[in-house]
Amino acid sequence: MSNKRRAKPFKTTAFMKELMAKYYADGAAAAEAGIPVAWVTAVSPVELVYAAGMFPYYPENFGAVASARKIADKLSVVAESKGYSHDLCGYARCGIGDAYASEHPVGEIVKPNMLFGCNTQCGTLAKWFEVASRYYKAPYFLLDTPQVVQDPDDSVTSYYLEQLYEFIAFLEDFTGKKFSFDKLNEVLYYANEACRLWNEILDTAALKPAPFGFFEACFHMFPIVTMRGTKDAVDYYQALRDEVYERIEEKTFVVDDEQFKIYFDHIPLWPRLRWFSDIFAEHKAMIAVSLYTHSWAYSFDLDRPMESLAEQYTREFVNRFFDYRIDLKLDLMRRYNVDGFILFSNRSCKPNAIGLYDKQNILSREMGIPGVIFEADMSDLRFFSEEQVLNELRPFFEQLKATAR
Amino acid sequence: MNTGLNVEALEYFNEVTEDPCREARLWKEKTDGRVIGFLLTDVPEELIHAAGFFPYGISGGKKWLSLSDAHLQTWTCSYIRSSFAMALGGEYDFFDGLVIPQRCDESRMVMGIWKNQRPLALMDNFRPLRQVGRPSANRYFLRELDRFKKGLEGLRGSEITDEELKESIKLYNSNRDLLSRLFDLHRRDPSLISSKELYNIVVASMIIPRDKLNEKLTSLLGTLKPNPESEANGKIKIFISGTFLEPLEIADFIEETGGVVVGDDLKNGSRYFDGNVAEEGDLMQNLVDRQVKKMPSASFDDFANPRSDYLVNTARGNGADGVLLLHLKYCEPENYDYLDMKTALEEAGIPVQKLETEFGQTSLGQLQTRVQAFMEMLGGVDLV
Repeated sequence: MSNKRRAKPFKTTAFMKELMAKYYADGAAAAEAGIPVAWVTAVSPVELVYAAGMFPYYPENFGAVASARKIADKLSVVAESKGYSHDLCGYARCGIGDAYASEHPVGEIVKPNMLFGCNTQCGTLAKWFEVASRYYKAPYFLLDTPQVVQDPDDSVTSYYLEQLYEFIAFLEDFTGKKFSFDKLNEVLYYANEACRLWNEILDTAALKPAPFGFFEACFHMFPIVTMRGTKDAVDYYQALRDEVYERIEEKTFVVDDEQFKIYFDHIPLWPRLRWFSDIFAEHKAMIAVSLYTHSWAYSFDLDRPMESLAEQYTREFVNRFFDYRIDLKLDLMRRYNVDGFILFSNRSCKPNAIGLYDKQNILSREMGIPGVIFEADMSDLRFFSEEQVLNELRPFFEQLKATAR
Repeated sequence: MNTGLNVEALEYFNEVTEDPCREARLWKEKTDGRVIGFLLTDVPEELIHAAGFFPYGISGGKKWLSLSDAHLQTWTCSYIRSSFAMALGGEYDFFDGLVIPQRCDESRMVMGIWKNQRPLALMDNFRPLRQVGRPSANRYFLRELDRFKKGLEGLRGSEITDEELKESIKLYNSNRDLLSRLFDLHRRDPSLISSKELYNIVVASMIIPRDKLNEKLTSLLGTLKPNPESEANGKIKIFISGTFLEPLEIADFIEETGGVVVGDDLKNGSRYFDGNVAEEGDLMQNLVDRQVKKMPSASFDDFANPRSDYLVNTARGNGADGVLLLHLKYCEPENYDYLDMKTALEEAGIPVQKLETEFGQTSLGQLQTRVQAFMEMLGGVDLV
């Protein structure tokens, strides 16, 4: 497996490194420059924070980086020594652990001047931010988002919209500056552009063979999550899009002799990403699509920016009911014409893991293709067994091969 | 020793919890009415009752546990797992509806699975507030209550009138008053009724027809005469905090070692009957007000009144010698609060101990040992 030929690296990788370095340098310099740091959650209207001239920092991203560098367990142990359980979300354990840790192998988490938490994704972020706001003695604004069970839900959208205005008042009070709606529209314009380009790139995974897939998306998603609403993100995805099309021209594809397309749910196994992707390449299977990387597909209406933010963020799949999540998975599976699906029962992400056992049966019935669930943790290798995961995947690959005959 | 105790009334509550579906089934047979189950906590039962339905509060289960394994990971909350297992085992087949208040990730995600496996005529995802500090909260929650009410009206086929709602609110207020009185009496004279019996009555109160509950509680209360001397009876006063007192035997372990439970913030305790609903004016607004003013919990923390402050003040107010944090395994919200609560209590000079519990836990011995160790630290004597 280790001698597996991998596709050549993307040229834009250098651009990515530059952007990341700039982002982290900005974060570190924010305090000196008098720019307040706001902690934000991945599925929240960060556009407001950018428009207010603050620096948005994603503790979840810190968790993902620590996980990918295989030190989540070490940070977690520090959090555990304070009484936090190893059953909590791995990202939260990384963040809390780092706050108490004396060593910071992936750099120190940036301290917040204020926290803007949103519970669309999960209850864990809302609690983690609550804990952090006490620890860092920084004010906390919780954007409460009840689950949209039946769409449309005007009550939830109005509640969210009202809170957006409450948040703007909170921001004005915090920064002492009047909020600029012109600036917001500029930010939303960039967000729209970045989302449009990102989804255009993701869509190339439907080509067979494909120049870009899930693992590439995991690598290149940093700007769409953290810099959505900036010109930098737009420039980045323009460059990446051009390169993806170049690759189609020159026939550089993700998997040699691609035979199968796979749907994956949901967050990757960060500490073993390369190992995991090699297994698929070896079986000539390409993970083409996941709910995770497809989460950033906003298209805000600049004529009614606030309403548009409320509508789109409340309708994100993370804030939706069981039935909708199944429909969305089915839709993606059909759009990308997949041959099988993998569901990650991720003990660090309860909202996405709970229900997968039932969903597997429903998806198999609807799609008539092989599907499998594996058990692990997105961050923490103490809850991962290579042998167990391979045992769970093996019958899947056998079934997949059988369908091709 | 209190000799006038209404043993018969106490026995009744014990029988109810031993066979938790009995009363609701009997009611259904007799009235041909509808039973609506609900998971704890913060469900506005008054509306269910006003629709003429039987609100059935689910306090977890002890049977069929392994049936959940095919649907819920072993690392999900055992309250949800054990409650769902009861449904899978057919225990709740007489339900006409189910309400799940979305209070955490598990309660937010389990309804889809439940609906897929055991569909019922009404399956309501009730979405209480997560923040209460801003004006938007009140307006949203009024709409949410209205949506909830309309769902019940749809099942019944007619509107719930103001008179009906008012009657139900009055009845529930009187239930809560009686339960509060019982807890007050227990605090004044712990020898009247054991801590375990006290919490058993709360669990029973959620699965008994409301008028019958008042009758039984009134009859029990009539025989409880506190001895004014007994306040200084030298017992070690323990405040219990968390989600559930589960198993109820924990209360026995506290008493066996010279302690008594003097207060709690539990779903199957004080949180259930905390605060009344005003009976005049805009009744829906009054229901909102009760929720907004409720004691904080891990899933409902008013930043102006943080849970750790509340805990310190309430434990102190009840003269607690120690606080036992009942930690339901895998409960994320509760775990996030732990360090802050522990630190606040320690800074206030109140000894604190965490006790991990689980629905379906079989090893009572371990729990007993841990409670004993805490009680010994507080100067308790082994009275067994």
